[in-house]
Amino acid sequence: MQYFLIQVLNGVQLSMLVFLLAVGLTLIFGLMNILNLAHGAFFTMGAYFGLVVANRTGSFWLALLIGPLLPFAAGFVLQFFILQPLAQRGRSTHLDLALLTFGLLFATAGAVEYIFGSAFHSIATPEILNGRIALLGIEYPLYRLFVIAVGIAIALALVLVIDRTLIGATLRAGVDNREMVTALGININVLFALVFGLGSALAGFAGVISAPVMSIYSNMGIGIVVTTFVVVVVGGLGNLRGSFYASLIVGMTDTFAQAFVPEAELFAVYALLIVVMIFRPQGLFGAVGRVA
Amino acid sequence: MSTEVTCSEPGAVPKLSAIPVSRRFHAILLVALAAGLCALPSVVSGYAMTLAVEIMIAGIFTSGINLLTGYTGLVSLGQAMFFGLGGYGIAIGTALLGWPLWASVPVTLVVVAATASAIGAICTRTRGVEFLLITLAFSQMFYGAAVKLRWTNGSDGMTGIPRPDLSLLGVSADSPVTFYYYVLAVSVLALLLLWRVVNSPFGSILVGIRENERRMMSMGYAVANYKIGSFALAAMVCAVAGILQAQYTYFVSPDSMSWQMSGEGVLMVIIGGASVIFGPFVGAAVFVVVKQALSLITEEYNLFFGIFFMLVVAFFRGGVLGAVNTLIGKRR
Repeated sequence: MQYFLIQVLNGVQLSMLVFLLAVGLTLIFGLMNILNLAHGAFFTMGAYFGLVVANRTGSFWLALLIGPLLPFAAGFVLQFFILQPLAQRGRSTHLDLALLTFGLLFATAGAVEYIFGSAFHSIATPEILNGRIALLGIEYPLYRLFVIAVGIAIALALVLVIDRTLIGATLRAGVDNREMVTALGININVLFALVFGLGSALAGFAGVISAPVMSIYSNMGIGIVVTTFVVVVVGGLGNLRGSFYASLIVGMTDTFAQAFVPEAELFAVYALLIVVMIFRPQGLFGAVGRVA
Repeated sequence: MSTEVTCSEPGAVPKLSAIPVSRRFHAILLVALAAGLCALPSVVSGYAMTLAVEIMIAGIFTSGINLLTGYTGLVSLGQAMFFGLGGYGIAIGTALLGWPLWASVPVTLVVVAATASAIGAICTRTRGVEFLLITLAFSQMFYGAAVKLRWTNGSDGMTGIPRPDLSLLGVSADSPVTFYYYVLAVSVLALLLLWRVVNSPFGSILVGIRENERRMMSMGYAVANYKIGSFALAAMVCAVAGILQAQYTYFVSPDSMSWQMSGEGVLMVIIGGASVIFGPFVGAAVFVVVKQALSLITEEYNLFFGIFFMLVVAFFRGGVLGAVNTLIGKRR
């Protein structure tokens, strides 16, 4: 029973991590119709930049704060100076753009390996979150609970921003009718690039926050990004709420497979995906509209 | 949804435009190729011949992807699973079950065809980027299985895969020259088969699906079945390449199913020019040579592979044959 409870918490913690990645991926797809296969690259980028900051300053919190800035800038530049112009030139479809980001994923992994080598790194858990906490008869690492809390907080914040603020309204309007939004005097290209940057920053944030519990290495983004794809497809591409629920489903499936059926570890989530695809090809939460 | 940012509707069938390569150009190319390829072993050194073998194997693999991506318009990032299944198929058949090679190969191809039909039936329910993601997930599943399964040696892979026994012809396939001719023969057969398929009514229907799936449906074609057929056929061609690769290196490992492998295949299709029958081989030639050249100068293969990939996708859409064709067109 205790083992089971620990696995549930581990599952939620993994789910929140995957959600931080999935939310950016699904936002970018919902708004710009771009499948960003390079999303894992921003995860890696954030983790390594956070590592550099942590090594220089010795502060986890600064790393968590500054780490996502590099992926933010990179995401903004990628969308504003590369993807947007290519899409506007009219020659490239969203599939070409997806393939382009596929190249970027490997280029980043290669560049990271070139700069940092292929060794494994890690960021130390901050002192205040070190230790365990008694909870329902078990002892659970405080840091993992922190990750869960941060994930839920970010999910709530995003829902609030998109549903209740002017920025959110502008974004939703931009999805429905781009010309109209432009005619109202809003620079949609900048707005979209900012959202792309934000999604990338969230991926980078996930990279830093996962550093004390997982290791940092050059190919870390390539592994996790496939799990993230499973999440966004199960949740319905472009569906923000769907990706939250799907994160929980996928995170739980993965954790429980590892804990109870280790042989199935590497393909439990894919089996889940296949079952979903057979019965609901548009994803479990894929609604009519594709508004993020 | 505006047309400025998204050039096609979400989930629309991707269009990789067909490039009409002139007849004369084709004929000249064919004769030159045939003569050159047959004479190659007597002209060049062993190194160039291994390159040629690698190019042909990659070319067959890419041809399979091209049938699916170029002709049917379904962009897959999971074709490496069939490449790997081909290699593992004969490895399991010969090493684990002790079957002769001539039995293992057809059984492998039948198994791949059946597997691909089942997977295709699920994958082709989606389109566009969803299709790309599903195929990727399937191939990751096979990759995961190959890493985990102990009776196929997990991530270490399987060795000792036999080459065909050609003692009836008085030669040994272990010699590089013989193996070169063997791969050449298989390549020619695969190309002929694909050429027949593409120019058959079946092939026209596939192109029809690429261009306008809804219209094909309203004309009464069972579009789903044709897509599954294309998926299975493409998978079998990829499996043939996988079998050759396993024989070439006497070895198969889970790496042959990695999604980088699938990505390389798509890249070679794009380099060569999608939906041109020779395109995949041209793409494979460019890719293999660039890869070899890169590995001579740098160890950071991933970095340059990624950059090369991005440049090709961004600036090189018609492929090499497309560029050549435009040049010929301009001269006239």
